[in-house]
Amino acid sequence: MSTTTTVDRPFRADLLTLDPPRLLGSRCSACGTTTFPPRGFCPGCRSGAELETVPLTTEGRICSFTVVRQAPPGVEVPYVLAQVDLPSDEVRLMATVVGVAPERVALDQPVALELHPVGTADDGTTLLGYRFRAHPEEVAA
Amino acid sequence: MTLAPAHVAGVGMIRFGKYPADVTLEGMAVRAARAALEDAGAGLDTVDGLYVGHVFGGPVAGQRIAAQLGLDGRPVSNHENYCASGATAVREAWVALAAGLHDVALVIGVEKMTDRVAGGVRPDPGDLDAAVGYVMAAGHAMSARRYMADHGATRDQIAAVAVKNHAHSVHNPYAQYQKPIDLAQVLDARPIAEPLGLLDCSPISDGAAAVLLCSPAGLRRLGITASTPRVLGVGLVSGSVQAGLGDPNAEDVSRRAGEQTWELSGVGPDDVDLVEMHDCFTIAEIVRMEGLGLVPRGEGAAWTAAGHTGLGGRLPVNPSGGLLSRGHPVGATGAAQVCELTWQLRGDAGGRQVEGARTGLAYCKGGTVNGTDGGSVTTVVMSR
Ligand SMILES: [Zn+2]
Repeated sequence: MSTTTTVDRPFRADLLTLDPPRLLGSRCSACGTTTFPPRGFCPGCRSGAELETVPLTTEGRICSFTVVRQAPPGVEVPYVLAQVDLPSDEVRLMATVVGVAPERVALDQPVALELHPVGTADDGTTLLGYRFRAHPEEVAA
Repeated sequence: MTLAPAHVAGVGMIRFGKYPADVTLEGMAVRAARAALEDAGAGLDTVDGLYVGHVFGGPVAGQRIAAQLGLDGRPVSNHENYCASGATAVREAWVALAAGLHDVALVIGVEKMTDRVAGGVRPDPGDLDAAVGYVMAAGHAMSARRYMADHGATRDQIAAVAVKNHAHSVHNPYAQYQKPIDLAQVLDARPIAEPLGLLDCSPISDGAAAVLLCSPAGLRRLGITASTPRVLGVGLVSGSVQAGLGDPNAEDVSRRAGEQTWELSGVGPDDVDLVEMHDCFTIAEIVRMEGLGLVPRGEGAAWTAAGHTGLGGRLPVNPSGGLLSRGHPVGATGAAQVCELTWQLRGDAGGRQVEGARTGLAYCKGGTVNGTDGGSVTTVVMSR
């Protein structure tokens, strides 16, 4: 009987790092535009300038959101899906939001990045994805 | 640059709805095609090529249809642009006619959904949005919430789109739903993605629609001497990658689709008498009309509630009932919109006729791509 040690890994290595837990974006050396997910071109200036892979801020706020009550078979509902703005990077992305009851979610609410298991690879490794968690003090308020 | 218009020699469709399993994709397409050929008084031998729009029909669905219809051996192509597939097939047929490749082109939009799609449509599994739990209804729900906050619009005003479009399709024998609904029914419907409920969402439907397009030489081949409605131009754009934290309802993709079609058709926004708009969700009709520039920014919800986009209003939108009430077999919708514009421009639309309609616009928006403001957008301009 053999034992195997497995280490968690991102569900997509191009999107996030685990230590520290950060989303990865690309930043344009010409105009400073940051994008998520990382891209091979800058949608801000399309100049062909070099893009640098950068870790993104973990602090966001809710641009808009919905409580999904019906989804295709196999998807558990309800869940909160949001467009999350990362103001310091000027990046908007879509993600689920946890840590707040659906009826308490609000526009402009602050949220923070968190990684969570989204599946298991063929070799038994836990795959980590990303979502956002509402700030506890905001929920209590 | 403008291309030669395509003449609409005939149109036909089957009633959209939920059909049993033995009503096949091929069978629905054949029925719609025969109706269009009959409407034109044309035989199968007149058709130079077949253009088929569908999403879920599988490989070579168009050729499977041709083999049942009797167009086997002819050039057949399949066109997938999600909900804009049928309109994309119209565009490719128009281009082939303008190029002189064909003189008579048959377009079929068709979809069999009720036996293969459950719980709503979603992006391709390879798209990042799918990995975070995106479904189409969620995107429009987020659009609605932001729209209400930014423009002071109310939930009731957005729900008014569904009430209006259901009222229109009472007069449409091809519509999946032919009964009026009231505001309370929309507001009280089962929530799908808050704030949107079941009646804010177009249904999962089966159906087919067909359009027979001709060059002037094609009209002569068919012996048609009367005036026919014409497709003046069909715009096609795709969503662009968004950067920054701008208005999520900017609908720049709709603005670009509109500008392209005004240039292609020589028609301006002020000339449009009616619009068949891709109202896959109530809010979508509002923000897309604004993106096109046909309704002032931020006023679309109020316009709807005030009746400006209803029959008899300032600019009637979706006299057919739209996707919400005619139904939305995704690949068929673009072709069904061209059927409706044709009936409207001929004055054949019965109780849903837009009086004096001379110029119409049909708009489809198909699919989503992570990080962009849309998948594909088509804009068909027709005149009588
Ligand atoms: Zn740049």
